[in-house]
Amino acid sequence: MAFKTIVGLEIHVELSTKHKMFCNCPNEYGAEANTQTCPICLGLPGALPVVDKEAVEYAIRAGIAFNCEISNVIRMDRKNYFYPDLTKGYQISQADLPLCDGGYVEIELEEGTKKISLNRIHIEEDTGKQTHTDEGLSLLDFNRCGVPLIEIVSNPDMNSAEEARLFLDNLKDTLKYIGVSDVRMEEGSLRCDVNINIVDKERGLKSNISEIKNLNSFKAVVKAIEFEEKRHKDLLEAGDNSEKETRRWDETKGETVLMRKKFGASDYRFAFDGDIPPVDVSDEWIEEIRKSLPELPHHKKERFMNSYGLSSYDAGVLTQSKELSLFFEEILKYIDDPNLVSNWIMGDVLRRLKENEQEIEDIKIASKDLADLIILVRDGKINNNTGKKVLREMFDTGKTPDLIVKEQGLVQISDEGALSGIIEEVLNNNEQSIIDFKNGKDRAIGFLVGQIMKASKGKANPQVVNKLLMEEINKR
Amino acid sequence: MEITNLKAWEMKDKLFNKELSSREIIEAHLKKIEEKEPQINAFISLNKDNALKEANRIDEKIARGERLEVLAGLPVGIKDNIVTKNLRTTCASRMLENFIPPYDATVIENIKRKDGIVIGKTNLDEFAMGASTETSYFGPTKNPVNTGVVPGGSSGGSAAAVAANEVPIALGSDTGGSVRQPASYCGVVGLKPTYGVVSRYGVVSMANTLDQVGTFGRDVRDAVLMLNAVKGYDRRDSTSSKKVIPDFLIDKDNYNDLKYLKDIKVALPKEYVELKSSNKDIQDLFEKSVKIFEDNGAKIEYISLPHLKYALETYYIIMTSEVSSNLARFDGIRYGHRAEKYDTITELYTNSRTEGFGEEVKRRIMTGTYSLSAGYAEEHYKKALKVRTLIKEDYDRAFANHDVILSLVSPILPFGFDSMIKDPVEMYKADLYTVPINVAGLCSISLPMGRVDGLPVGLQITGDRFMEEKIIKAALGYERAVL
Amino acid sequence: MVTKEEVLHIAEIAMLSFSEEEVDIFTEKFQQVIDFVDTIKEVNTEDVEPTFSINDDTQMLKDYEGDEVLTREEVLQNTKDHQYGYFKILRVVE
Repeated sequence: MAFKTIVGLEIHVELSTKHKMFCNCPNEYGAEANTQTCPICLGLPGALPVVDKEAVEYAIRAGIAFNCEISNVIRMDRKNYFYPDLTKGYQISQADLPLCDGGYVEIELEEGTKKISLNRIHIEEDTGKQTHTDEGLSLLDFNRCGVPLIEIVSNPDMNSAEEARLFLDNLKDTLKYIGVSDVRMEEGSLRCDVNINIVDKERGLKSNISEIKNLNSFKAVVKAIEFEEKRHKDLLEAGDNSEKETRRWDETKGETVLMRKKFGASDYRFAFDGDIPPVDVSDEWIEEIRKSLPELPHHKKERFMNSYGLSSYDAGVLTQSKELSLFFEEILKYIDDPNLVSNWIMGDVLRRLKENEQEIEDIKIASKDLADLIILVRDGKINNNTGKKVLREMFDTGKTPDLIVKEQGLVQISDEGALSGIIEEVLNNNEQSIIDFKNGKDRAIGFLVGQIMKASKGKANPQVVNKLLMEEINKR
Repeated sequence: MEITNLKAWEMKDKLFNKELSSREIIEAHLKKIEEKEPQINAFISLNKDNALKEANRIDEKIARGERLEVLAGLPVGIKDNIVTKNLRTTCASRMLENFIPPYDATVIENIKRKDGIVIGKTNLDEFAMGASTETSYFGPTKNPVNTGVVPGGSSGGSAAAVAANEVPIALGSDTGGSVRQPASYCGVVGLKPTYGVVSRYGVVSMANTLDQVGTFGRDVRDAVLMLNAVKGYDRRDSTSSKKVIPDFLIDKDNYNDLKYLKDIKVALPKEYVELKSSNKDIQDLFEKSVKIFEDNGAKIEYISLPHLKYALETYYIIMTSEVSSNLARFDGIRYGHRAEKYDTITELYTNSRTEGFGEEVKRRIMTGTYSLSAGYAEEHYKKALKVRTLIKEDYDRAFANHDVILSLVSPILPFGFDSMIKDPVEMYKADLYTVPINVAGLCSISLPMGRVDGLPVGLQITGDRFMEEKIIKAALGYERAVL
Repeated sequence: MVTKEEVLHIAEIAMLSFSEEEVDIFTEKFQQVIDFVDTIKEVNTEDVEPTFSINDDTQMLKDYEGDEVLTREEVLQNTKDHQYGYFKILRVVE
């Protein structure tokens, strides 16, 4: 393929601070319309902005997590334009001097790790919300107005929809990890715009960049990139080219459509906001924030691989969410076998969570209880299948494994005397299977084990059963 | 005794001594307002019922023997670009003709906390843009000294109300001379503090890096009393200074004020000396005033402010740029005038703003938008911000060796209505004394130095940033000398 | 020279409309701005920092609890039209 796709992303993330960016209104999602506003975020005459400290701290956290250079001064600018969801006729943002410069995000590809470089991360305020009614009205709610945002701008370093998805996954996980945002796309706390074009290397042609807006899920981002890739390619192949334009993803049609031109001429007239004198950001403060950051996912992943001997894949999954990695390490306090614990979590625990549509935060099981369960199985007190059953029970009721095992009498029977009686009975009732086995049908042994397990109500220790069964058959 | 002839500090004394009640003071002023308003038109809205209620509250406080704050029982006029909760705030614009703010500016909170009584909202040039109070949507204010001339502007309503004894003290705002010039034209004292000394929270922005709330009184003491009540750091204004400015305590007995002139170092910028007023009588008055300083022991020296000649251009570019952005919030959606007819969003905006704003406001928005528009911001706005630094540094050098700078406030006399100085050079010169002070964020006071053709002429005493004490002392000394 | 088109563009982004005569006046007015700019252009500002803030002690970040929100009545009391607690404008299609 001679075509190369070039994708850059612009991501707006709402910070989950207590207060809004420039006023002390609560920063909460879902309140009744226009009940979370004040003179400042409503842009009433005379009201003045003051920058929220927590918002700056959160933005710096993100800057550090994404390896940016943190600026030693905060300078805010006004982006002047008119729009009904904007209360002051300008948005307070950052133009020349973003709080965080450069940086990168690493993604894991089959061919190895790839660095996606960032252009910048800057701070700004969110706008209100406009709803259109069927009666031909526009209704405006300004609760969201002034909520702190960071805008993360990547360089055009991604070359496929898949790379964009990996980039976004990493970004989302990290933002959640460092506790600066809920990153809920459905609530609009993470919004993504795509810039895309393609290059025909052979013919030395380039398509013009399309900007895609209104992408409200990662799936939509992937589909929109794939759609645009093809559209640009088809245009170039037909000797044509795409227009430099803004398009929007239409979920129902499954395609991008040209956006109506924004009304009015756009000329943002960026100018320094004199209401907000520059604020110094000391190296000490940056250092303090750096120290307060939790271990970042990629660092933790490396540590899991090095100190616990986990595979890259397992370490990756276990460190995807902070809570999961903490759960894992908590269990290790009680049972020093990282691979065994990893297998349990990667297998049954995550499967159960997925089935229940739960997050690790929702789990009812205490880390010590899961450790106890794993120990019960490892030590042969209950067998593997029983262990899974117990786990299910633990998921549903939150009871300790010991209690479940006791209540249901699940302790594994390893006593040879007790088991040989069952085995003898099963063999007596299944003469044909013994003949089959001796005639080379290995499958028959499985059937016999099954019958024995059934007769023992699943409590028989499989290893002991196997050993005794073979001895008994050989005797016959 | 005519109560309204008293200075604020005199009224306060009488109130504290129980010679007067707060109710008497407020009623006397309301009566005065009723009597004078038909000729002067200094007020846009009155706060009559509440003012009387407040007066009763103060009198009850006195009866109970409670502690009284510094503005106790005093009526205060508030320029109508300072927002007052539940009291109409119009900025003298059709745009805000019916605007009832749901909050108080910090300075209003301060006045209330200090037991002061807001008696009404005073007239101004629309959104404080002008120098004559003629651009008000509510009609011009007349100069109480001579109703045939303008009171100056933009705080013409506050200056006229104080001059007409409708109130003893008032607040204005000063972006390029809007407190000092009307004080000069109406023959009262106008004090513009250092940028950052008084909170701008709730003061409707015109040019936000130049705007500063200023005070009016009929003597220096009263202007200072008013300043004491409203100044101070405000966590809601990021440009508010954390420097603690002490209350400027003033002796009641002013016989010793002359001593303040002794040994102070007075600077006269030679750029102003060269410029001179084209009115010889004004120039003579100024030279006489300098002589008074000298005779009382002040040291006079000539200095140079080499970048002063760029101050007006710099001011004009910065001011209009900021205006264009600050007035973008008036779109008719959440408050303010909304056009009846519109078919598109653009029309909703354009019709509302075109109908709601007056000519001068629109002119400034247009030039400011032009200055900030694509391709020009760098050479216009950013260049002006750099020249501003040079102007500021000129003053820093001057104040390293001097206490105050003396100059005229305005080189011309208050002019007649509709006569808006047509000659661009004259217009230019008219602002040249006041504007640089805002560009450099300095403090400055305008006080009467005499009359020419029966019209008041003001003297401007300027000090370094946060050196209010120096200009106040110099003003007290001068005031005593010319009494 | 400032063109009429430039004036119209500025009016468009400032959301103001003007009569023919007014537009002509603005071409002159803008020319004056250019003259002003020409005047300050001659000042050498090499190595001069722009004045972003007159005072240098205004290092301010907010970090406190409190400040009440407005009631919905207060929020909506100055608008011409509202419904269901929302500000209301006619839906306009551009």
